[in-house]
Amino acid sequence: MSVQILDNNAYAALPEDMFVIGIDESHAEDIPRPSTTYWHDVWQRFRRDRLAVIGLVVIVIMTLMCIIIPMVSPYTYDGSDYMNMNAGPSLQHPCGTDQLGRDQFIRIMYGARISLTIGFVAAAINFLIGVLYGGLSGYLGGRVDMVMMRIVDILSSLPSLLYIVLIMLIFGSNMGSVILALCFTSWIGTARVVRSEVMHLKHSEYVLAGRLAGANTWHLLIQHLIPNAMGPIIVSTAFLIPGAIFSEAFLSFLGIGIQAPRASWGSLANAAIPVMQMYPHLMLFPVIAICVTMFSFNFIGDGLRDALDPRLKK
Amino acid sequence: MNLLEVKNLNTSFHIGVGTVQAVRGISFHVAQGESLGIVGESGSGKSVTMLSVTGLLPYNAEISSDSITFDGREISGLSKKEMRKLHGSEIGMIFQDPMTSLNPLFTVENQLTEPLKIHRHMDKASAREKALALLRQVDIPNPEARLKQYPHELSGGLRQRVMIAIAIACAPKLIIADEPTTALDVTIQAQILELLQGLKRDSRASIIMITHDMGVIASMCSRILVMYGGTICEQGDVREIFYGARHPYTWGLLNSIPKVHQKRGEKLVPIHGTPPDMLQPPAGCPFAPRCRYCMPVCRAYMPPETALSETHRVACHLMHPKAPKVTRED
Amino acid sequence: MLKYVIKRLLAGVLTMVVLITVAFFMMHAMPGGPFSPSEEKNVPPEVLERIAASYGLDQPVWQQYLTYWKNLLNGDLGVSFKTVGTVREKIAGHFPYSAQVGGLAVMFSLLIGIPMGLIAALYRGKAADMATLALATVGISVPVFVLSLLLSYLFSVKLKWLPTYGLDSWACYILPVVCLSMNPIAYIARQTRSSMLEALEQDYIRTARAKGVSELMVVAKHALKNALTPIITYLGPLVAGLLTGSFVVESRFAIPGLGYYFVRSISDRDYTMIMGIVIFFGLFVVICNLVSDILLAIVDPRVKLANE
Repeated sequence: MSVQILDNNAYAALPEDMFVIGIDESHAEDIPRPSTTYWHDVWQRFRRDRLAVIGLVVIVIMTLMCIIIPMVSPYTYDGSDYMNMNAGPSLQHPCGTDQLGRDQFIRIMYGARISLTIGFVAAAINFLIGVLYGGLSGYLGGRVDMVMMRIVDILSSLPSLLYIVLIMLIFGSNMGSVILALCFTSWIGTARVVRSEVMHLKHSEYVLAGRLAGANTWHLLIQHLIPNAMGPIIVSTAFLIPGAIFSEAFLSFLGIGIQAPRASWGSLANAAIPVMQMYPHLMLFPVIAICVTMFSFNFIGDGLRDALDPRLKK
Repeated sequence: MNLLEVKNLNTSFHIGVGTVQAVRGISFHVAQGESLGIVGESGSGKSVTMLSVTGLLPYNAEISSDSITFDGREISGLSKKEMRKLHGSEIGMIFQDPMTSLNPLFTVENQLTEPLKIHRHMDKASAREKALALLRQVDIPNPEARLKQYPHELSGGLRQRVMIAIAIACAPKLIIADEPTTALDVTIQAQILELLQGLKRDSRASIIMITHDMGVIASMCSRILVMYGGTICEQGDVREIFYGARHPYTWGLLNSIPKVHQKRGEKLVPIHGTPPDMLQPPAGCPFAPRCRYCMPVCRAYMPPETALSETHRVACHLMHPKAPKVTRED
Repeated sequence: MLKYVIKRLLAGVLTMVVLITVAFFMMHAMPGGPFSPSEEKNVPPEVLERIAASYGLDQPVWQQYLTYWKNLLNGDLGVSFKTVGTVREKIAGHFPYSAQVGGLAVMFSLLIGIPMGLIAALYRGKAADMATLALATVGISVPVFVLSLLLSYLFSVKLKWLPTYGLDSWACYILPVVCLSMNPIAYIARQTRSSMLEALEQDYIRTARAKGVSELMVVAKHALKNALTPIITYLGPLVAGLLTGSFVVESRFAIPGLGYYFVRSISDRDYTMIMGIVIFFGLFVVICNLVSDILLAIVDPRVKLANE
C-alpha cells in the first residue's frame, strides 16, 4: 500500500464522519503476520533449502534401496559369476563385476548397508554419550566439571584417527569395533554443546524462579534443555553421520576396517586400486556412492543448521 | 544558518521477505551550535535516519532524498570516498554500546589516534600528545596508562568516554550521539550526560542526540523531533514539546516518564500495543492502531503537518478543523 | 603472559603423559604380539621366546611400562622390532619427507583458503561467493582417499601428465599437495568467509567507518584481524596433521614419510615403532597447539584474561 497524501483542498473537504473518535479498538493488539511454532518455522526454512531436500531424498532412497535390493536380487555379495569376471557395466551387472566375478552393484548395496548402519548407529551412540556426559558435567559443576572437561580436552587434543587405528588393532576388524572406535571421541562436540547449555540454563532466571517455587532442578533442566539446546545438538549429530561414514570408509580403505569377503565402500575402492588402469569402473562406482552420500549428509547438515538457527546463516 | 538540512529522506532495507520502509519522507534541520533531540521508541527509524544522512548504512539499504546539505554543501550525492573526509573530522559519532563499539584487538591509543592520523595527518608522537589531551578532556584519570590498554580492560563508562574522545578528536562541527547512555548504569549515565553537557557548552559544535529517554532530551536539547513509524509526528522546542505537545504519541511518551512529584498510587501510563510492522506500514497514520483518539481518517490518510508556531509542527488529524478538540490527560 | 604459557605447557605435559600411558597399555592389549607363534609360523617357539626376552617382553607389563618411561626420558624410543635400526633413527629418517609435503600443503591451504574466504565475504551473494561455497562443499564432502584416487586416475593414469608415485621431481609433489590441501582449503575458506562476514557486521566496524577509515583499511585492519582469530586456532591442528604425514596420501603416492610407515608398522605389529610414532605425533600436536595458543594470545588480548 502506498502512502496517501491529500492536497489542502481535498483534506479540508473530507466528510465529518471521518473525524469521529473511537473505531474498532480491538485491532490495536493485532499481530500483523501469522505467528508460527518454532518447529513449523524450522521445517519451512528447511523445505526452502533445495540442496538439503535433495540430500534428504537421496538418503531415503539409498536407505530403501540397500534394505530391499539385497532381499530381491539374484546375486549375493560373495557369489561369483565365473562367466563374467572383470566385466564392465551391463544390463545384467549394472556396475560390472570384480576380479572374482562378484556383482559390483550388489556389493555396493551391501556396502551402503554397512556405511549407513555405522553412520546412524555411531551418531546415535555419540548423541547419547554426549548428552549424558555434557549434561552431567554441566549439572554437577565445580570440581567434577573441571576434571570431566580436562579429560575431554586431553582426548580431543589428539587426532581421533590415532585412537581409531589403535582401537581397531585391539578389537579386530569388524563392524562392532569400527563403531566402538568411532564412538571413542566423536561425542565430545555434542558434550561441549550440552554442557555449556546446561551451565547457562542452571544460572538462568527462569530455572532459578522454578527452583524457588520448589521444582526439582534436574526436572527443570530436562524440561528446558530439550527445547533450548536441541538445535545445536541436532546439528552436531547430523554432521557426525557423514564423519562416521567417512572414517569407516577410510579404515576399510587402509585395510583395517571391514574385512573380505564382506564389502564396504572403502574396501571396494581399495581393492580396485591395483586394477585401476584396466578396470576403472571398479573404482568409479564405489567412489560415486561415497561422494553422493557424503554430499547428501553434508547438505542435510547445512540445511538443518540454517533452519534451526537462522542467525548462523551467513 | 543551518548546519544540516535534510529534505524528504526515505530509507528502506531489502531483506529476504520484502522491503522494510524504515524512514518515510522526513525533513528536518539542525542549526549551527544547536542541540537537537530525536526521540522515539525502538524501530521508529531514529537511528536509521542519522545513519542514512551520514551514509553508514549496510549494503542492503536504499536511501533517497531531495537534498541533504551539510555546512552549505550538498552531500546526498557524494561518493563514499568524499563522505569519508567528513566522517570523523566534520561529523563525529558516538554509538550506543561502548562494549561493542570499540575494536577489541587494538589499544585505546591505536583507535583514538586513527582519526587524527587520517584527517589531520599527524605523526605518531603528536597524535599521541593530542590523544592524551583528549583523554584529559573527557575526564579520564591516568591517561598515559589508559592509552596502552585494550577496550576489555576498561569499564563501560570509561569506554564510552573513549568513544566520545574519538568523536571529538578532530573538533567536528556536528556530533551525533546515538543513545549514548542507554547501555550504561544509571550513575554512569549521569556522568556521561554531564560530560556531554560540558562539551556542548565548551564547543560550538551542533549536537544531535538520539534517544528514547525524554529525561535525557530535557537535560541536553533545545529542540526535539518525535519520530514514530519512520515519520516525524511532532517537532518543536523543549518548552513546546514538554508543555504544549499536541500529538497523542508525544502525550504517551510524556506520560510514561516518572515524575519527581509522582503521587502515591499514581501509575505510569504505558502506550499499549506494538510499533507498526514496517514491512507493511499502514496507509494512514502509523500511530493510528495504538491511538486512543483514532478516527476513520487516521486509518485512510497520512496526516499532513500543521505548523503551530515558528518551530512547533505536528502531523495529526486532530489538528483538522472538523476534528473534535481533545487535550492531554495525565 | 608467562602464567598463561606455563599453564598451557602443563596442560600439554599432562596430555602427553596420558597419551603415552593409554597407548602403552592399548599396545599390550592387542592380540598377537610381534613374536607370537601365530604371527611367525616358521620360527620355533623357543627361539621366539628368546627374542621376546631379549626385548624385555617377558617381564610384567607394569615393569615394561616403567622401563619404557625411563628410556623415554633419556630420549630413547627403543629399537624397531621388525626393521633394522632404532625408532628414533626411523622417525628422523622419514619425518622430513612428510614435513616437506605437509609444509607445502599448509602454505598452499593458507594462500588459497584465506583469500578465497575473503573474496567470498566481500562479494557476498555474487558469483565468486557461490563458487567458493560450492568448492568448499566439495572439499569438505569428498574424502581425501577418494580425491587421491580420482586425481591420480585422471592425471597419472589417463592423461599421464603427472607421476603416480615417489618424490623425484617437483611434478611429484603436485598431486599429494593438492590432495592434502583440499579439505583444509575448504575449511579455511568457509571459516574465513563466515568470520569475516560476522566481523563486518560488528559495531566497531561502524565506529571505524564513522572515523573516516578507508574501506580498504576497514577490511584489512579492523575486520581481518578479528576474522582471522579462528583460523589461528585451527592452525595448530592443521600444521600438526599435515606435517606428520597423511596415512592415505602417503600410501597412495608412495611417499616414504611417517604416515606411510605408521600404517606399515601397524600391519607389522611393530610395537616400538607404533609407540614411537604415536608419541612423536602426540608431541608434535601438543607443540603445535601450544604455539597456536600463544599466537592467539598475542593477537587477541582477551584470551589471556579468560585463561588466567
